Amino acid sequence: MTRDREKGGSLMAEHKRIFGVEGQAGHPALCVLPEVEKEDELFEIIWTLREEGKPTLEHIVQNCTLTECEKILKDLATNGWIDLNGQTVELLPKGEKRARELVRRHRLSLRMFYDLFALDGAEAEACKFEHILSPEVTDSVCTLLGHPPNSPDGKPIPRGECCAMFRQEMKPLVAPLADLTPGEQAKIVFITPESHSRLDRLSAMGVVPGSVVKLHQKKPSYVIQLGETLIAVDKDITKEIFVKKI
Amino acid sequence: MHDHGSKEGLSYRDSNLYKILLIGNPNVGKSALFGLLTGTYVTVSNYPGTTVEVTYGNAVLNKTRTLVIDTPGVNSLVPMSEDEKVTRDMLLSDRADVVVQVADTKNLRRGLLITLQLAEMAVPFILDLNMDDEARSRGIIINQEMLSQLLGVEVAKTVAIRRSGIDKLLKGIQHPRPSPVEVRYDDAIEGGIRDISALLPEANIARRAIALMVLSGDESLKGWLHANIQDHIVVDIEKIRQEVQSKYNNSLGFLINQRRIKKADEILAKVLSLHEAGQGSAIAFHIGRWSMHPVYGLPILFTVLYVVYQFVGVFGAGTAVNFLEKTVFGEYLNPWMTKIVHFIVPVPLFQELLIGDYGLFTMAVTYAIAIVLPIVGFFFIAFSLLEDSGYLPRLAVMVNKVFKIMGLNGKAVLPMILGLGCDTMATLTTRILETKKERILVTLLLALGVPCSAQLGVILGLVAGLSGLATFIWLGTLVAMMLLVGYLAAKIIPGEPSDFVLELPPIRVPQLSNILVKTIARVQWYLKEAVPLFILGTFILFVGHKVGALAYIQTITDPIVVNFLGLPSRAAEAFVIGFLRRDYGAAGLFMLSKEGLLDPTQIVVSLTVMTLFVPCIANFFMMVKERGMKTALYMAAFIFPFAFCVGGALNWVLRALQIEL
Repeated sequence: MTRDREKGGSLMAEHKRIFGVEGQAGHPALCVLPEVEKEDELFEIIWTLREEGKPTLEHIVQNCTLTECEKILKDLATNGWIDLNGQTVELLPKGEKRARELVRRHRLSLRMFYDLFALDGAEAEACKFEHILSPEVTDSVCTLLGHPPNSPDGKPIPRGECCAMFRQEMKPLVAPLADLTPGEQAKIVFITPESHSRLDRLSAMGVVPGSVVKLHQKKPSYVIQLGETLIAVDKDITKEIFVKKI
Repeated sequence: MHDHGSKEGLSYRDSNLYKILLIGNPNVGKSALFGLLTGTYVTVSNYPGTTVEVTYGNAVLNKTRTLVIDTPGVNSLVPMSEDEKVTRDMLLSDRADVVVQVADTKNLRRGLLITLQLAEMAVPFILDLNMDDEARSRGIIINQEMLSQLLGVEVAKTVAIRRSGIDKLLKGIQHPRPSPVEVRYDDAIEGGIRDISALLPEANIARRAIALMVLSGDESLKGWLHANIQDHIVVDIEKIRQEVQSKYNNSLGFLINQRRIKKADEILAKVLSLHEAGQGSAIAFHIGRWSMHPVYGLPILFTVLYVVYQFVGVFGAGTAVNFLEKTVFGEYLNPWMTKIVHFIVPVPLFQELLIGDYGLFTMAVTYAIAIVLPIVGFFFIAFSLLEDSGYLPRLAVMVNKVFKIMGLNGKAVLPMILGLGCDTMATLTTRILETKKERILVTLLLALGVPCSAQLGVILGLVAGLSGLATFIWLGTLVAMMLLVGYLAAKIIPGEPSDFVLELPPIRVPQLSNILVKTIARVQWYLKEAVPLFILGTFILFVGHKVGALAYIQTITDPIVVNFLGLPSRAAEAFVIGFLRRDYGAAGLFMLSKEGLLDPTQIVVSLTVMTLFVPCIANFFMMVKERGMKTALYMAAFIFPFAFCVGGALNWVLRALQIEL
């Protein structure tokens, strides 16, 4: 995963999108950066097409608007990243690893912009981000977001080591209160309210970071418990309260 | 319902009596304590928001003549709704000799949030830890002495509904002190407090507390500010607030509360110990859960409705009314009365006034006592049981989504259900709703389609004689019209809906004594308010009958009543007296149907019109008082023709489709 960041950075200025948002041919917009990033893009295309079951050379070329597409593919094959000999394009072990990490960073970035900053269609930002994230930061982002299984457009996010550890150790994570299973208890970490008055009201009832809440039920309305107080609330409100399971 | 204590608050205000102000979170037992201290009954129920007005009562406590003041519950002294504002204003402008903060022991954390605000206000107070029994059964023990030491004020423990701990509370009341506890905020906020305090006038409470209210963005304080300082200073104060706010992402109100809660948690950590919880509350807890369950919740709701129907509609309106009307009045009282009147009053006209067809005794008293009283009596018992069980707020959880259609949220279910008791009081209770839009919507829906206990009782009696389909059509039309009008009104009336945030009280076994006292208080209220109006209505009918006006009204209303609604001519009488009280009108229909003058279709149509009909006079006055003359008149002007149109349409549909009821 060595990468010439300076080169990529200096070329950032020319960064422009050649794929439309929520791309044609059903593919989300992909990221374009020359040199190494061009390879990255091909890896992402191969991965995405493989999920759809058609990673043929023809499809890859169709989905790639880079002019030197085929040349790069051949280079990748020469260097032992991919195998072009079969009916479909296969990722070789080190290519598999690289593609997997790339896609993971891209989709996690999307998730982060969507969940944390409430930015929908943040493709461009996600594209910049996926090239900056180091493995450690990627795992932190993954943990912060609660090891999300999907990107906002529903595509699976390849699991990382942190996710496996999470499954085994049930490490604490931050998630909206709305995502708890009824009966679970959690500590409020932060609240991102839509309006100030909503936050004021909640805080007067003891809903502040640090308080322990229990989700009682989700249907027909959400009911939460703080101490000995039961409070019925709108679902929207529970989406804005971020908690850490305890 | 209309069973409040004395309301002559204004005359008390300037008196030199020793004043005790009861303050605390909602549903912690302030009203129960008030009743205990004064011997005056005010409604005590198991849901937040029972008290929406300040109530005054006299008592002799510690050998001193004392004025005790009960206030609506508050979660913060920065008010979010009209009832909360009432409480804050009491502190702001009425100097009490002692403030008694009533706290729910098991929810002390939230109580302390208010304690800290009282400390900031520097008012002399004591803290009463009420419902100590419930806390203990949950394994929550509070170290009273330690808490008293930490807060620097007297702390008492009580169980108000069992009168326990009152002696110690009264002792504590003699030594109120301002609490020296202080919450330190961020430097920027403290700076804001300093700057604003310098601009504020002398007041009943410390400037620091007022400055904190201002910083918290308390809109309701604007009136007080403008009344007490010059306008340009108010503008300066707002500038300071905005400047402080600009330094933070979160609202200042939240940051201030957050800091207070941190302090409360520090105190709590030193005084609270947790022990093994008793089993007692577990059953109640599960009942509470099932009543809000997406699957079991509905059967429970229908069971509750069915039991209430059996109790009020079948037993109350059937068995009890039959006994009273046929046996007590029909066989004994009315014949006796007739004899006595014939004997004492020789003038035929006066004889007729008392015992004729429109006789004050044979019609007004018979209607009020023999028909409506047993029905409302049984309804009051059932309703009080529901109120005290804590079930009603849980309905809000079940219907939140439906209420969203009408631009409301589940919280509005409380005034709507209270409307089944009395629309007049329910209109007052709309104060617990947060936005003006919601208050107007609920006022309209109450006036339009929520039958009050008296009317509902009579309706249940009428419905008992109908088929299931007929009942369904009546109820379905009513619900559909409420949804339709609510939906449209929500589009027309400007404003925003508010968040659904409602505290659910624990499920409790209702206390027999409270049920009894409450029912009696309500029956008394009914007799006081309804009987005079029944007599007035009958008198109007009698005069109308004598001078021929009744026949004239029937002639001019015949096109509507007979042709459009398909009802017998005499139904017009029921509508006329329905103006005075809807239950009286319903009782008139009840009698018509008993005499066999109405077929099922006619019953359904007339019931629908009567239910949707204009509110009673008392309710209309309350609408004027709470919403203003203009809004009230608009509502009446809409409801009146609307009720008849719906009735007419229903009549036409039922007859056109030849639906056999």
